[in-house]
Amino acid sequence: MGLNPMHQFEVYKIGPEINLGGVNLSFTNSSLFMSISSMLILLLLFFGTKKKSLVPTKIQLITEMSYTFVAKMISDTAGSSAKAFFPFIFTLFMFVLFCNMIGMLPYSFTVTSHIIVTFVLATIVFVGVTIIGFIKHGIKYLELFVPKGVPIVLLPLIVVIEIISYLSRPISLSVRLFANMMAGHTMLKVFGGFVISLGLLGGWLPLGFSVALTGLEILVAFLQAYVFAILTCIYLNDALNLHH
Amino acid sequence: MKDIKEISTRLEIAKKKTEADQNKNEGTNAASFSKALKISTELVAAVVVGSTIGFILDTWFDTKPLLIICFFFIGVAAGILSVFKAAKRMQKNNKN
Repeated sequence: MGLNPMHQFEVYKIGPEINLGGVNLSFTNSSLFMSISSMLILLLLFFGTKKKSLVPTKIQLITEMSYTFVAKMISDTAGSSAKAFFPFIFTLFMFVLFCNMIGMLPYSFTVTSHIIVTFVLATIVFVGVTIIGFIKHGIKYLELFVPKGVPIVLLPLIVVIEIISYLSRPISLSVRLFANMMAGHTMLKVFGGFVISLGLLGGWLPLGFSVALTGLEILVAFLQAYVFAILTCIYLNDALNLHH
Repeated sequence: MKDIKEISTRLEIAKKKTEADQNKNEGTNAASFSKALKISTELVAAVVVGSTIGFILDTWFDTKPLLIICFFFIGVAAGILSVFKAAKRMQKNNKN
């Protein structure tokens, strides 16, 4: 059990089993760590905006930096018309970032290493963006699937290809985050297991690898949150400004 | 009031400095790494979606291996298309 690299991804329930109409709604370790992440974000933002001093404290600096980071990302990729969606993208970015980062702590659970979590997040983005596109452009939003200057003979094939390319968005968005987090954590655990099994004599090399991989994983944890948010912005841009 | 003015000019200078640093760092390892992660999954996802659609349509129309083969190749085309689009977007961003 201790050396099983997949053991860390196990979801188990904490407390009593809750069953609502045949749906298992028990509180699990996954829900626990999601709540911890959300609470930490709320605490950070609460204490960061509590005392608005001219010379910011560290916590205020972090809050302001994350605000400007996301605001700049939105204005760079999706333009000024996407400013209205700042709260959504900020929430998404912070949630994914905190889930990834909390997963880096020993004995914790990485929420984003489960595809159902990332897939739900990606589906919210996908469905939301599609609805926004239809609200904004009406039936003309379907022009997204018909590129300009294509001969009529090729059009049916191109439209099918464009639709598949559009439908692949939530899959690529969710699989990317899930696969990176799971692969990284499995690798860390495998190298950690090598340290134990090779003992005092041969364990130093995998220990070094573990340290290096931890650094890499922290980078990946940040990058994945960034990629998730920036792709949401790009999709939003496609929906708001219909031209490519 | 003098303090505030001084701080704001100092902030201005510091901002310019960090911006210059950021411009220098563009295209560093982290940025390229994120682009690589982005593009590689896009290619795979479209193939998976295409094949899945082919599989579902096959079971609907009872044409077992035919549509899944067609849609696999359409999925590959869609994957290449999304990679192409992403690359084009990057090129546009680099020019600006």
